[in-house]
Amino acid sequence: MTEPVAPPPDRPDASPPAEVTERPHPLTPLIRGWVVLLAVIIAFGRDYLPIGREPQPLPPLQFLLGAVGVVAAASGIAGYFSWRFTRFVIDAEKLRIDSGVLFRRSQRVAFDKVQSIDVVQPLAARLFGLAELQIDVGSHERPKLRYLSRARAYALRDYLLARAKGVQAEADAASDSTSVLVDLGAQDEVLVRVPPQVLLLAAATSHEFWSIMATGVVAAVIGITFNQPWLVLVIAIPTASTLIGFVGRRVTSQFNYTLSRRAHGLRISRGLTSLTSQSLPPRRVQAVQISQSPVWRRLGLYRIDLEVIGWGHVTDNENKTGVSTILLPAGTIAQVRVALAALWPRADFESVELHQPPARARWLHPLAQPFLRWGHDDALVVSRHGWLVRRWQVVPHARIQSVRITQGMVSRKLGLAGLEFHTAGGQIMPHAPGLDAAHVLERQSELLRLVHHPAEVDVSDADPGQADAGPEALRADHAEDTISSSE
Amino acid sequence: MSDLFTPTADWQRLSPAYATVRRLGALVYNLVATGIVCLGTSFFLDWRWVVAAAVAGLSWTLWRVIRAGRWVRSFGYAERAEDLLITRGLWNKELTAIPYGRMLSVNVESGPIERAWGLAKVQLVTASIHSAGHIPGLSQADAAALRDRLIVAGEAQALPL
Repeated sequence: MTEPVAPPPDRPDASPPAEVTERPHPLTPLIRGWVVLLAVIIAFGRDYLPIGREPQPLPPLQFLLGAVGVVAAASGIAGYFSWRFTRFVIDAEKLRIDSGVLFRRSQRVAFDKVQSIDVVQPLAARLFGLAELQIDVGSHERPKLRYLSRARAYALRDYLLARAKGVQAEADAASDSTSVLVDLGAQDEVLVRVPPQVLLLAAATSHEFWSIMATGVVAAVIGITFNQPWLVLVIAIPTASTLIGFVGRRVTSQFNYTLSRRAHGLRISRGLTSLTSQSLPPRRVQAVQISQSPVWRRLGLYRIDLEVIGWGHVTDNENKTGVSTILLPAGTIAQVRVALAALWPRADFESVELHQPPARARWLHPLAQPFLRWGHDDALVVSRHGWLVRRWQVVPHARIQSVRITQGMVSRKLGLAGLEFHTAGGQIMPHAPGLDAAHVLERQSELLRLVHHPAEVDVSDADPGQADAGPEALRADHAEDTISSSE
Repeated sequence: MSDLFTPTADWQRLSPAYATVRRLGALVYNLVATGIVCLGTSFFLDWRWVVAAAVAGLSWTLWRVIRAGRWVRSFGYAERAEDLLITRGLWNKELTAIPYGRMLSVNVESGPIERAWGLAKVQLVTASIHSAGHIPGLSQADAAALRDRLIVAGEAQALPL
């Protein structure tokens, strides 16, 4: 767990790259302040609108305009100073973010700690062609650079990622770091693209959609049976708005979903109102869940969720910082293959031979037993669950932290036992229930053997060149992994 | 003891004194909890409910106290060449295998009650919160020795990812 403190010897110490200082875009205070301005307008404006309550006696208009003017001027001045005092400094070792007028604050981000970088463009920023950089350093707080012009943000992201990747990229990237304002889009290799109509179809046929609908219908039926027809209306309106909200969120947050590959890694870009470009660090992916709603089986659609260290909870929607844990919102099996191959080039989840638990497991899992499967090869463990919604959980041996056999009282009577695979994530918890107790110990030892003696290279390394980087490199990788996992 | 949860290995058991600690802990914790529940019920419901809650609480406490000895005897750990095995549980049995290479740190903890009996708890930390590598109720000397052995094994076998 010793992080190399001194720079690696092969770094060209003779010519360290010059220090580059960056300022936020001059429009930054405007964009940061517009939310405040909007709130002020709403707070005052509401009094002018007769919304179901007594219009309050209003102060004279001149006074109001004056107040707004003062607020605007004050926030403008504050914004100017905060812009004036914010600096992003890039030197040979790290990125430094200096900010604060009265209370100075200086954040340092060492390049070798950078895990991934997202480019987020909220609606207001997007209108002015600005973007924000969010740097994932494995801790809860993400250092942010906001706002930069869009082109500069992309260029800086690529530069920082190149630096984070290692020394080789340094010389090239550093030489033109201040002028890489060219469009690098041509280098992108698009792997998966999901058009909005597929998102719409997938959202409207997902099990979440149907369960919201079913709740509404059940409530309506109850209303009718108790002879209270007005209840139907009361239920129909929130149900409809929930449905529209659900579909809307799914479509807008994943709009124009594109998974692409560049020299420095995988990237997901998506979003209608706010455009997010999220970089995906394969080594930090702990487990993958592929799921399929009942109607999706007919349509041949799948969805992939990821559990990544530092990305927070596995959810449907993006969280407050704009991170989404969805690898593929909806796609065909071919797209699933492409996405997983991009993530783990050295593993193939389809070639894993799956076994069915014995028939007596039906006593324990009356509905799910016919669909339960599990199996492993020398790279992955795969388990399948689910009666209505089918779920495949995939975890590489290299990410398994411990293996547990469990057995409850009923299982003991039936001669069954389950296996659990623990990863550094906590939510997608791969497990294989209802196995024949007679063989489960052998299975556990076999899995442990694979954890102890993993393949020469990691499942997520595409480049065979990394394999002969020597034990030093492996140790360094291991250190990165353990540090990032201990949060 | 079923074979599934104690495969052939050099099994170590907990100190018998830990059963007493566990009994004491169960007694204190459950009696306090029962008292709070009874008090709460007495505000809202009539005395029959209070009696029912008290009976339920006391019988659960008694059950825990009786079972403590068996639970402690069911707990075992084995240091194998490449991993640590921990077995535990009476109704819901578990056998967890934690490779030494996955350990991030090893802690020894000892609360006031445990200290009075000269006991300590060894805790193996992996990157997963589910690994649950706790070994309670070891004598303090055993705990320190186990910790040192685990650290040595962990350093020697650190897995290259």
